[in-house]
Amino acid sequence: MTAIPTSVPRPRRIAGTPGQIALALAIAAFLLMFLVLPVATVIYVAFTEKGTSTFTLVNFYDFVRTELFMRSLWNSFYVSAMSVVWASVFALPLAYLTTRFVFRGAAIVQTLGFLPLIMPPFVGAVAMQLFFGRNGSVNLLLDDWFGFKIDFMEGLNGVIFVQSVHYFPFILINLSAALRNVDRAMEEAAQNLGSSGFRLFRRIVFPLAMPGYLAGASLVFVKVFDDLATPLLLNVKDMLAPQAYLRVTSIGIADPMGYVISVVLIIASVLAMWLSARALKGRDYATTQRGGGGLAKRVMTPMEAVFGYGIVILILALVLAPHLGLLLLSFATIWSFSPLPDAFTTAHYARVFGESSIYIKNTLIYASIAGGIDVVLGVAIAYLVLRTRLIGREWLDWMASAALAIPGVVLGIGYLRTFYGITLPDGTPLAALWITIVMALAIRRLPYALRACYAALQQISVSLEEAAENLGATKARTVRRIVVPLMAGGILAGFVTSFSTAAVELSATLMLVQSNSDAPLAYGLYVFMQSAAGRGPGAALGVVAVILVAACTFLSHLIIERSQKAKGMGH
Amino acid sequence: MNATVSLTTPAVAVDIEGVNLSYGTNHVLKNVSLAIEPGEFFAFLGPSGCGKTTLLRLIAGFNHADTGEVRIGGKPITDLPPWKRDVGMVFQSYALWPHMTVRRNVAFGLEERGVKRAEVERRVEAALGLVGLAHLAERRPSQLSGGQQQRVAVARTVAVEPKVLLLDEPLSNLDAKMRVQVRRELRDLQQRLGLTTIFVTHDQEEANTICDRIAVMNDGIVQQVGTPMELYERPANLFVAGFLGTANILGGKLSGNGGTRVFEIEGGTRVPVPADAQVPEGAKLVFRPQHASLGDAGPAGDGMLALPCTVANREFLGASVRYGVRIGTTEVAVDVPFQSGSGLFEVGSGATLRLSPRSLLWLAA
Amino acid sequence: MLNRRLALAATLGLSLSASFTAIALAQAPAGKVTVVTSFSKDVTDPIKKAFEKAVPGVTLEVQNRNTNAGVKYVEETKANNQVDLFWASAPDAFEVLKGKKLLTAYKPKATGIPEKIGSYPINDPAGFYFGFAASGYGIMWNDRYAKANKLPEPKDWQDLAKPVFYDHVSIAAPSRSGTTHLTIETILQGEGWDKGWRTIKEMAGNFRSINERSFGVPEQVNSGQVGVGIVIDFFAFSAQASGFPVKFVYPSVTTVVPANVGIIANPPNKAAAEAFIEFLLSPTGQEVLLEPGIRRLPVNPAVYAKAGADYPNPFTDPRFQKMIGFDVDKSEGRTAVVDTLFDQMISFQLGGLKGVTKVLHEVDAALAKKPNDKAKALADEARVLIAAMPVSEAQAASPELRGAFTGGKEKGARQAEVEAQWASFARDNYAKAKARAEEALKAAK
Repeated sequence: MTAIPTSVPRPRRIAGTPGQIALALAIAAFLLMFLVLPVATVIYVAFTEKGTSTFTLVNFYDFVRTELFMRSLWNSFYVSAMSVVWASVFALPLAYLTTRFVFRGAAIVQTLGFLPLIMPPFVGAVAMQLFFGRNGSVNLLLDDWFGFKIDFMEGLNGVIFVQSVHYFPFILINLSAALRNVDRAMEEAAQNLGSSGFRLFRRIVFPLAMPGYLAGASLVFVKVFDDLATPLLLNVKDMLAPQAYLRVTSIGIADPMGYVISVVLIIASVLAMWLSARALKGRDYATTQRGGGGLAKRVMTPMEAVFGYGIVILILALVLAPHLGLLLLSFATIWSFSPLPDAFTTAHYARVFGESSIYIKNTLIYASIAGGIDVVLGVAIAYLVLRTRLIGREWLDWMASAALAIPGVVLGIGYLRTFYGITLPDGTPLAALWITIVMALAIRRLPYALRACYAALQQISVSLEEAAENLGATKARTVRRIVVPLMAGGILAGFVTSFSTAAVELSATLMLVQSNSDAPLAYGLYVFMQSAAGRGPGAALGVVAVILVAACTFLSHLIIERSQKAKGMGH
Repeated sequence: MNATVSLTTPAVAVDIEGVNLSYGTNHVLKNVSLAIEPGEFFAFLGPSGCGKTTLLRLIAGFNHADTGEVRIGGKPITDLPPWKRDVGMVFQSYALWPHMTVRRNVAFGLEERGVKRAEVERRVEAALGLVGLAHLAERRPSQLSGGQQQRVAVARTVAVEPKVLLLDEPLSNLDAKMRVQVRRELRDLQQRLGLTTIFVTHDQEEANTICDRIAVMNDGIVQQVGTPMELYERPANLFVAGFLGTANILGGKLSGNGGTRVFEIEGGTRVPVPADAQVPEGAKLVFRPQHASLGDAGPAGDGMLALPCTVANREFLGASVRYGVRIGTTEVAVDVPFQSGSGLFEVGSGATLRLSPRSLLWLAA
Repeated sequence: MLNRRLALAATLGLSLSASFTAIALAQAPAGKVTVVTSFSKDVTDPIKKAFEKAVPGVTLEVQNRNTNAGVKYVEETKANNQVDLFWASAPDAFEVLKGKKLLTAYKPKATGIPEKIGSYPINDPAGFYFGFAASGYGIMWNDRYAKANKLPEPKDWQDLAKPVFYDHVSIAAPSRSGTTHLTIETILQGEGWDKGWRTIKEMAGNFRSINERSFGVPEQVNSGQVGVGIVIDFFAFSAQASGFPVKFVYPSVTTVVPANVGIIANPPNKAAAEAFIEFLLSPTGQEVLLEPGIRRLPVNPAVYAKAGADYPNPFTDPRFQKMIGFDVDKSEGRTAVVDTLFDQMISFQLGGLKGVTKVLHEVDAALAKKPNDKAKALADEARVLIAAMPVSEAQAASPELRGAFTGGKEKGARQAEVEAQWASFARDNYAKAKARAEEALKAAK
């Protein structure tokens, strides 16, 4: 074992090995092809003068001058920041209790805590309204019993509530992965010096897990900033992303402002990512000198256990209420202005299994491939950025992260424009193939996987790789045999996030679906939710989706746990 | 290291009594009992996997005994969590927090104890002064050399004035030259602080040079406790003899009784056993290379034991020449002081191994 | 099916040239026909089934997209079009497609379909799209919600402006929902530009929310999150068919407008596309519309014989005859302006509008108890301020203003500039109106 690695970058060659350069170029080409080019074909409008195609910034001047847009910008910032705060409140206890303590059912908690992320579109919204809405179960009961209602789902606070419930798993996942990687000696040293409990967490454990936390928090921030579904669901229109969406998708109006807002969204997202990277710069977080074996799980005292399980159950109950609503809805005959459905039936499931298994199959295939692409790219980009000195390597990171800010519908239209003209030998357009949907999903979810991989690699000491190189492993083999196995937890977290969010992705895929037989689940949900009669089957399909994705998630948590156990049994 | 301020606390004893610890079926510590005196520099010495680090972490509170008790200053600490034990531990990896400067690292324990800010500052300065690193207080750990990191780790630990100092292989991450320097510094520091110190190492030289007493451990069992010299001179068993220094071990069979006991070495040579010698069941004959000498073939005189042998190899060590000689099928090492001009035995030639009966030991496993 | 129809046509002695029959037979429809539609599965599934039964050898590939996305999709993929048909409610969407030359003209051969339903022409006069079903706009409400909140049954648009409905009404944004756009346009055409906007704004003062999806409104009413919704009739009918406790009424100023189908320009399977249109307009196709899950009004009057007695029949029901006519050209000419006015003056200023409306309701309540001329005058002033529009009807249809929303070609005012003007106009007026209303409230008390 060697000393703590020096973060002072050792002199490496400026350019990098031919392999690294080739890899960087390949990734850059991929991103240009499937992200930059399609998006550019759509948003260049933002920079052109009306009536001509000359370059101008007057549209941005209009943006700044318009009260609605500035109000939207401020609202978006406020909602995003507050969502990060609340998401942290939900995520911190779950992450800490399940990773640093002997906690029965930790894998279950981790899985359940992940579920909010896989809220299927449309039905999720309906279920949430039925539970927390103005006349949802909770408020009807409150009104009945106490004569008052709580506006969970009203205005900006409603958006904050729903967003933090929806996106807190980002923090949970990344923070958990980071906590697992904190060397036990770091924690023990602090205990040895008299620190314990929350102070220990605040002063040592949490700061050391900061890369993971920031990865999650920046994702939440950017995601909330760029999300349009929730504000629109709650009829909050004075936020940026809904404004962009409403403008881009209105027919008959060729207005550049939608694209101007998209550009603003992209800039804001990249800025947020850059700031979070900036916050970690110059600090060394590589704490896994033992090769990832740093998990000191403590046994809780009975009092702590009561408290701990109490908190976990409380948080889970809150964040899983929408899923409970979804479950009820899927068995409900009629559920209207009442705390519970009028009656229950299993007919919706019969209909779903009869008609919609193709959607589920497609979704699993698409989401797996997309998740696979994402972790490969994620590992590669993280490696290039953190471990090489290639010029412009950060641009790969920025580019990939910017995908987060691109409204799905912009990407969808861009794909149609870019790939519809390209035809296969038999005349079908490239964009008509299902693989296009997969590429769109992969690009849309790449930032998730990338952040997870990035955080995982950041925590691995360079010396572990140097040791491998020293023993005769080439760079490529070192990556394969040392880096990737040590990153396994982070990679898996990235895959799971990409996979499961891709499984319920809506906007881009809806634009690209060409035929029912190639359609993913979100399309099926969309089709169901167009009518009152489809509400039950839609919910049933949503439940099936959630269960499937949850099962995959649970499985991967078991794998993480096992590999950690295998690695962690040092002394 | 020049101490401007000395940090002192009254030294305490550490008593370990009947400690057993298992991970599943893996019995890591087997009925370990030790009494460590106040102010003593004590080593847990043994090969890796012997349980020495587990025992150290048990004292620090990171491992929990299945049975048995640990007392510090006479008070049982078995039920105390690590942060209430007041034992300072220097980790093998140093475990310096990368997100804090050296100063913040050293101040940490004091802040946790609620020490007033001015006092914290004073004691941080003192601790860093003690290890000679006051000028690097604003650096981050990653900007320090290995030796500097090690000293910061020590400063961080002694700053809180623990009752006991635990050192987990503190020298293993240093180069050979640093190791010699740092171990002296550690000893020096310990002497000045008068702190009961437990030192875990697998390196007998480290243990011998700085420790008052050593507990040699193997396979979860304390094999022997004693000063370095005692352990060297009077090892309790074959393991201790072999682990500390070089020992020649010859198997054989004991016969006769009383004053006429004879140990017959494999190969046929018979060695008379002194009447006062303890020969345990299944014992083997043990002697150190420097207690033997080589001579031309011929009978032994003046009560020396003479064993015919063949020279198998020869190494020049400077002050001495080490011969590997074969007795029957067993090869043993013999150190002969080197004097310029004196003749050397050639490899392949016959010779006589001479041994004083007083230097012979009969040890069992 | 087509063959049977042709045979039928022949026996009826209708003019069908032999050569045309030969062509039709030579191009017997087969293979896959792709339709982009905004209709739900409940509508498309039975029709798909019936169509594939009637025209063997053809499979109907349904691509479900909302109207806006569908138009966008067809537009973006025109270079290599793979879609045969566009099938949706809002005539405006078809007008947009037609304007962009994305539709193919066709002359349906089906018979028995009159030229007009109510006073609205069923087919596009230019022959680019064809009505196959009719729908009317109206008010839908949740019975349980209404009982719990003691809401009366609404009968007309003006009812929704009453204080009792404050915060209980929901609508889809006309810029997002073709059908709602038609509702707004219907009110504007029925009541005139200024009075129409006044009605709309008075209603809007009671809005709970403005949805971005047309189905969002019936969904909210179905689940009881909102009491009253302004919707197209079949949303209510199909919800009733599913068992939801909802009711529906046609107000006096409304219209029935057809739901349409049209062939995309350069369709990959033209023969099958035509066969689908013929099927939809045939008696068999028309009868499918009567299914409870679909519940549209067929455009062939003869089919109503097969419907139940309580099924609304726009050809005979006097209520429907009263419904106003609808000028498609007028509507199309100012679509963007009307939608943007609604968004800028109502959707994005809803807080301000609701604020002043609430005070005005209180003034009315106070005045009802104790009349006060000064208060009444102030309240009327406030109402005038709210109702004021930044543009007149003539300006709304002017090429200058329309140019601001087309994005291309002629230089002129930018949309963002115009929008900012309208938004500040509305914001200032609502603020002034609120000041008057508060003064009135003080005076009235």
